[in-house]
Amino acid sequence: MGEGYQPGSREDFDRLYRTAYPRVYRTLSVILRDPDEAEDCAQDAFVQAFQAWKRWRPDAPAEAWVHRIAVNRAISYRRRAKLRSVGEILRRLGRPATSTDPAEAAARPDLLTALRSLPPKLAVAIVLRHYHGYNNREIAAAIGVSERTIGTRLRQAGERLRAELDSPFSLAPRTAFPSDNSETYAED
Amino acid sequence: MPKTDQDPLGPHFNWRLRAELDRVQPRFSSPRYLSHGAGGRVGAWRFAPAALAIGLAGILGLTAYAATGSTNPAVWTERAKSVIEAVPPSSESTPSPARPQAAPPAAPVRQSPAAPAERPEPTEQPEPSNTAEPRESPEPSPSPEPTDNHSGSGSSGDSGESANPSPTPTDH
Repeated sequence: MGEGYQPGSREDFDRLYRTAYPRVYRTLSVILRDPDEAEDCAQDAFVQAFQAWKRWRPDAPAEAWVHRIAVNRAISYRRRAKLRSVGEILRRLGRPATSTDPAEAAARPDLLTALRSLPPKLAVAIVLRHYHGYNNREIAAAIGVSERTIGTRLRQAGERLRAELDSPFSLAPRTAFPSDNSETYAED
Repeated sequence: MPKTDQDPLGPHFNWRLRAELDRVQPRFSSPRYLSHGAGGRVGAWRFAPAALAIGLAGILGLTAYAATGSTNPAVWTERAKSVIEAVPPSSESTPSPARPQAAPPAAPVRQSPAAPAERPEPTEQPEPSNTAEPRESPEPSPSPEPTDNHSGSGSSGDSGESANPSPTPTDH
């Protein structure tokens, strides 16, 4: 993952962009609902990474480093967007934030929808672990928290995701998510 | 990167997540960091004219200080005026090399206020009481004003017209 990168090398950063941009974009697509927002945050993250590329230390994976920048930026973006949205105000007043229309739920990929309903830090942990294949240590390095925190987040994310997918409006096949309560996230 | 097969989300979760996220295709627009890098250089060069102007102003100030020995810009202005006024007569005398001795009587320095040491002349010093007005108009003036002064007080004509060969007092 990012081996052979030299800090400050323009060619290496171009290579990092070509390799990591689609993966970072997909991670952000779980945090941010709008593709334009995901692209915007991903591009901004690479701009910020490019400015700090000379200071990057090769002891950490370059893609995890960019992921950290991008996730922080996406979380900040989402927080600001939520504060601005009227839907957030309605949710604070006790109205449901997400639509429960079965037709609308059937029209969307339910797994990504369920992931997007999670808090961003939990959703990112799930994506980095199950899509990008990071272990807990790499996720901890990417997010900037301890491995123990990552284990806790993965457990909470699994529980909430299962509850979300088991809801009556979800069309997810229940056989794909057996009710296995064994906690194995903390072991890598 | 080791992965566990006993995730609480089930063994098929990774496959489903991968299938759905792989459908998310990023739009490969041009990398923004490329234009940002160029923009940074442009932004740095945007201040180049201002830096150049400040540098030139500094050099000019130092030069003026070295030339005048004063930090007062008014002194610099006076010095610049004197230099500018002093240059044209010398430039006029240079294109006529046929008369090299005619240039010193022209005395262009006489008009410059920056060279007061060259002004004192032996003919002007023994006139302490006269007004300066007749001396400043050496050319013959046909105006009737000198006749009035001459008839009222003849003291100014004793010494002032002796140095001035103009025939105006005698005409009236």
